[in-house]
Amino acid sequence: MGLTIAVGIKWVPNQQAVRFDERTGTLIREGVTSIVNPHDLDAVELALRIRDRYGGKVVALSMSPPSAVKGLEHVIGMGVDEGVLISDRVFAGADTLATSYVISSALRRLGGFDLALFGQETIDSSTAHIPAQVAGWLGLPYLYYATEVELDGSGRKVIVKRMLEDRAEWYELDMPAVLGVAMKSQLPRPVKLSNKLRLREENPIRTWSNAELKLDQRCVGLRGSPTIVAKSTWTPEVPRRRQILEGTPEEAARKLVDALFREGVIR
Amino acid sequence: MSLAQKRKSKRVDCATVCPEWGCRQPGEHEGIWVVGEVEGGAISEPSLQMLTPARMVANKLGTFVEGVLLGGDEGALRAAASEMIKRGADRATVIAGRELSEYAPPAFAGAIAALAAERRPDVILLSATMRGREIAPYVASLLRAGITADCTQFDVDEDSGDLFMIRPPFAAIMLAYIKTPTRRPQIATARPNVFPVPPRDEARDGPVEVRPASSYVRAPPGMRLLRSEALRRDEVPLEKAEYVVAGGRGVGTKEGFAALEELARTLGGVVAGSRRAVDLGLVPHERQVGQTGKSVRPKLYIAVGISGAAQHVMGIREAGTVVAINIDRDAPIFRSADYGIVADWRDVIPALIREISARRISPGKGT
Repeated sequence: MGLTIAVGIKWVPNQQAVRFDERTGTLIREGVTSIVNPHDLDAVELALRIRDRYGGKVVALSMSPPSAVKGLEHVIGMGVDEGVLISDRVFAGADTLATSYVISSALRRLGGFDLALFGQETIDSSTAHIPAQVAGWLGLPYLYYATEVELDGSGRKVIVKRMLEDRAEWYELDMPAVLGVAMKSQLPRPVKLSNKLRLREENPIRTWSNAELKLDQRCVGLRGSPTIVAKSTWTPEVPRRRQILEGTPEEAARKLVDALFREGVIR
Repeated sequence: MSLAQKRKSKRVDCATVCPEWGCRQPGEHEGIWVVGEVEGGAISEPSLQMLTPARMVANKLGTFVEGVLLGGDEGALRAAASEMIKRGADRATVIAGRELSEYAPPAFAGAIAALAAERRPDVILLSATMRGREIAPYVASLLRAGITADCTQFDVDEDSGDLFMIRPPFAAIMLAYIKTPTRRPQIATARPNVFPVPPRDEARDGPVEVRPASSYVRAPPGMRLLRSEALRRDEVPLEKAEYVVAGGRGVGTKEGFAALEELARTLGGVVAGSRRAVDLGLVPHERQVGQTGKSVRPKLYIAVGISGAAQHVMGIREAGTVVAINIDRDAPIFRSADYGIVADWRDVIPALIREISARRISPGKGT
C-alpha cells in the first residue's frame, strides 16, 4: 500500500536575476530564468523522507505554463515518483483563490492522497495562501511551519512538529491532511542522474489541461479570480530628513550621537 | 448618490459568476469585521492594530465596525470584545464554547465562515499573525471569496464603495490597488505593526453578542494539539524592540554581525537583517525586516550595509528615526534615512559604541 504524498511546486522567476526598473517601478523579467520556488524544495525533501521511511509514492503537481515541465523534471531528479503538469491557457491570470481551486480539483482527480505538502511561501509573491486555501477547498486539517512528520501507530494519523517563533508544537492530524513546510527546515537532496534517467525510460510526467479537469471557465484563470488590480500608483515616500553627516567616521559618529541624544531618541 | 447608497445598490450579473461558488450581491453585505485574537486571556496587539484601518474604512462607507472573537473562555472573550469596542469597534460578536477551546484552523476558519454566511459582512480584516496567516486564506476558500495578503494601506473606491486593498507587488515600489468588485466579503490581512493601535476611549460602549460555538463548528477539526514547548528566548521580540540595528550584505559575515550585536546591546535593542542577510544565513528569518519579513516600529532603526531595496524600506515605514551607514554614497537607503554616514561600518560602529558609552558616563558632555 504505502502513502500517496502530493507536493505542490511553483515555477518562478529566479529573483537573484530579476532587475528593477527604477524609472517605471516595475520588475524587468526579460531574459530571467526560472527555477523551482526554493521553499518548495523543503516540501519535496520532507515528502521524500516520509516516503523513504513509510513507503508509498510522491507526486509533484505544478500549475504553470508548459515550460514548468523543467521544474517537475528537477524534482523527479531528486527522487519524486510522478509529476503532473496542470497547464491550460484558461488557467492563466489566476489569483490565489482560482489557483487553489484548480490545484484542489487536480488533487481530487489524483484519486485520493494522504498528505499534500507545500512550501511555506513562494519567493515571487509570498502570500502563503495556497496551502491554506487548498485545505479550505477540501475541508481538511491544515498546519503550516511544519518541520517533521511521523506516522502514528494506526497509520491513519500523522504527528506533525512545527516551529513557531516562541515555541515548538506537536499536533496530531487525521489524514488526508495539508501541510505548509517551514522554509529552510530541510536540506533538499541533490538531483541524481539515475533518477533523471527514469524520465527517458518511464515518462513519469502527465499533463492535465482543462480537457481533463473539466472546470467551468468562470471558475478558473482570470475570470475565476475575485481579486483584480484596479490601478497602481507610486508608493508615497515617508518624509525623511536625508541628512548626510560628513567628516571622518569618528566625527560623523559623534555628530550622530549628539543629534540622537539632543532629540531624545536615545538617553 | 452617497457612497453608502452606491455600495448598497451594487449588483453583479450572476451569469458571469462561477456557478459552483454561488452568486452574492455586494449590496446585500454590510459592516467591517475585525477578527480578534486572544492570547493569554487578552486581546492581541496586532488585532487591535487592525481597528485603525477598519474604523477609517467604516467612516468613509458610513457603516459599522464589528469585532469577532472566537475561543473557549467566554469571560476572556467578553473582556477582549469590550477592549475592541473601546478602541474603535461599534459592536462585537463572541463565539464561545468547548469546540473552540483548542486552536485548530478548520474549526476557527469554519466558525468565521459560518458566521459570515449568516451575517454577510462587507469586509473581513485579520492581522497576518501566525494564526491569521493560517486562518484567513482558509476562510477565503470556504466562502469562495477573494483575499489580499499583507496590505500596507486601505482605502475606498469612491465610484463603487469597493474596498481598495493596497499593497506593493513583490519587490516593487509601485503600489497595487486591489479590489474584489464582484465578490463579498472582501477579505484582507496586514502584517503586524503596519498600523498603530487606536487610542482607548473609555466612553465608548456597544453591544456584545455571545453565540455558542456548537452552532458554528459543524464537525471536529480532525486535528489536535498534543503538546507545546516554549523555546528559550533571551531577546526582546523584533516587533517590540525600541532599538533595532539591522545588517545587510555589506556586513557580510558572522563577525560583522557580532559588532552589530554589541551596538544593539549598548542601545538596549536587538539585531535584525535584510533579506540578503537572511539568505546568507547571517540572521534567522524571524529577524528579517521588509516586505517578506517583518514591519518594525522602533524609536531608532540603524541600517548597516543595507542597500535599501524597496522591499526592505517597506518594513521601516513606521520607524521613528532612521540612520543609514553605507560605504556607497549612492545607495538608495540614504533616501529613506534621517541621518546618513557614508563610511565603512567597521570604523563607524565602534565609534558609535564609544560615543554612546562616554555620554552615559558623563551625561553633561556634548549637550
